[in-house]
Amino acid sequence: MSKLITQRTAGDAFVGPAVETRGLVKHYKSRDGVVEAVRGVDLRVEAGEIFGFLGPNGAGKSTTVRMLTTLLSITSGTARVADVDVAREPDVARMRMGVALQEAGLDPRQTGRELLVLQCRLFGMGSDDAASRAQQLLELVDLVEAADRRIKGYSGGMKRRLDLASALVHEPQVLFLDEPTTGLDPASRLVVWEEVRRINGHGTTVFLTTQYLEEADQLCDRIAIIDGGLIVREGTPAQLKSDLQSRLGLDDEPSLDDVFLDATGRTRERVAGVVREVGA
Amino acid sequence: MSYTWVLGRRALREALRTPEALLPTLFIPMFFLVVNLGQAGKIFPSSSTGFLDGQNYAAFQLPSSMLLAASFGTAALFLVEDIEGGYFDKLRSSPVPRTPLVLGRLVAELVKGLGIAVVLVLLALPFGIHVASGFVGFLLLIALTALWAVVYVGFMQLIALKTRSAAATNSGGLIFFPLLFLTPNFVPRHMLTRPMEIAATFNPVTYVMEALRSLILQDLVWGRVLAGFGVVGALGVVMVLLNLRMIRHYD
Repeated sequence: MSKLITQRTAGDAFVGPAVETRGLVKHYKSRDGVVEAVRGVDLRVEAGEIFGFLGPNGAGKSTTVRMLTTLLSITSGTARVADVDVAREPDVARMRMGVALQEAGLDPRQTGRELLVLQCRLFGMGSDDAASRAQQLLELVDLVEAADRRIKGYSGGMKRRLDLASALVHEPQVLFLDEPTTGLDPASRLVVWEEVRRINGHGTTVFLTTQYLEEADQLCDRIAIIDGGLIVREGTPAQLKSDLQSRLGLDDEPSLDDVFLDATGRTRERVAGVVREVGA
Repeated sequence: MSYTWVLGRRALREALRTPEALLPTLFIPMFFLVVNLGQAGKIFPSSSTGFLDGQNYAAFQLPSSMLLAASFGTAALFLVEDIEGGYFDKLRSSPVPRTPLVLGRLVAELVKGLGIAVVLVLLALPFGIHVASGFVGFLLLIALTALWAVVYVGFMQLIALKTRSAAATNSGGLIFFPLLFLTPNFVPRHMLTRPMEIAATFNPVTYVMEALRSLILQDLVWGRVLAGFGVVGALGVVMVLLNLRMIRHYD
């Protein structure tokens, strides 16, 4: 394991925050006019953190992550990852970040080993180094036995673990995980959590989006909640709960669910009403 | 180039592992060769048909089949699968220059096109066809067919990158059929009706077909051959440039 994700040293540390955005904006043109998906996001994620990025569907989570990971152009504002401006030096930024997006993006016709070797080659490794690194990563995510089978035969959990491994080929300084456990069974989810903790334990900053508040509560040092393209809450889970408790004068400590509902202007009754309406 | 080759090898592996997509590129062109020969072979007997240069009508029809085989563009459909499945984003998130992301598939298509063209010529031999321009002509025949495959898949990749839709890409690929039928497909250009002759003259596929046909039926007729390579070269440059522009602005 120690070879897989080497402990970060002062030599490869960067100055400043792991992720920093200022006035980040994304507008899309659509038939109905301009859609303001992200409307001025300011974020600061310190090196070594597990940072949770939460929000309801369509709030701007994935759009923000796609801008940070160079997959989407930025309408205005700036974004830096590991001290690199992602718009000005996208290739340098890509070398410093690992990306595992929603719905594990894998090629079903390749084997797990082939996919990892290819990913290593794309990050500049020679064929021998790539084969060796792929083997290490397969061991890390416990896919050695399935390594030479086509990915189309993998279960959802195996695909997610392979996707995670593919994001680690170059030992990134910042790892972006966009809803890494969506659609997984509880056991597979725990495995992914364990991997995320392990990766972070070796000094990699993790930027995680999720819809599961329990996941954020379990994993994240700090969280931010985005709604309507704007950050509406930011802090540690404990801080956010405490703030809500004192603001509403609650006797019991609220859950992160309560914080989320309060931050996004939703109530349990409204959500339940929506569910009933859909169910009817 | 190394990134392009790494991605090209992956695209080739993908093609070889999908025989259900590969086999029709051989079967359907051979089917058309057999059907067209059956329907028109007696009308154009080799003994009395000057434009056959002593060969049978299958030799005249083989270029159509070769162009059809090179115009399936399945690589573009695989690209749409990559886009829809999220794997294209994984490739885009790597520090590879954007150019190999599209050139990799084009290089794979060139290699695949060479293989398909060789197999088609071999399959056509039992019909009594021979390549009159000799070994050099055979190599040119194979190369021109493969280069056309690159041009065509380049065109379909543009649709794939623009629409990100398998249905739209598939439909876009059907444009080849009108182009094929606006060529001197069944008889030489001078025997077409005047409107069809004009249409064929403006159709770039005509020059590729005539080059292929001259390589099969005649000794090396460089004017024809160079016209075919010129058309393919010009269209190839346009397609590569448009692909590069598209990938650089892909959001």
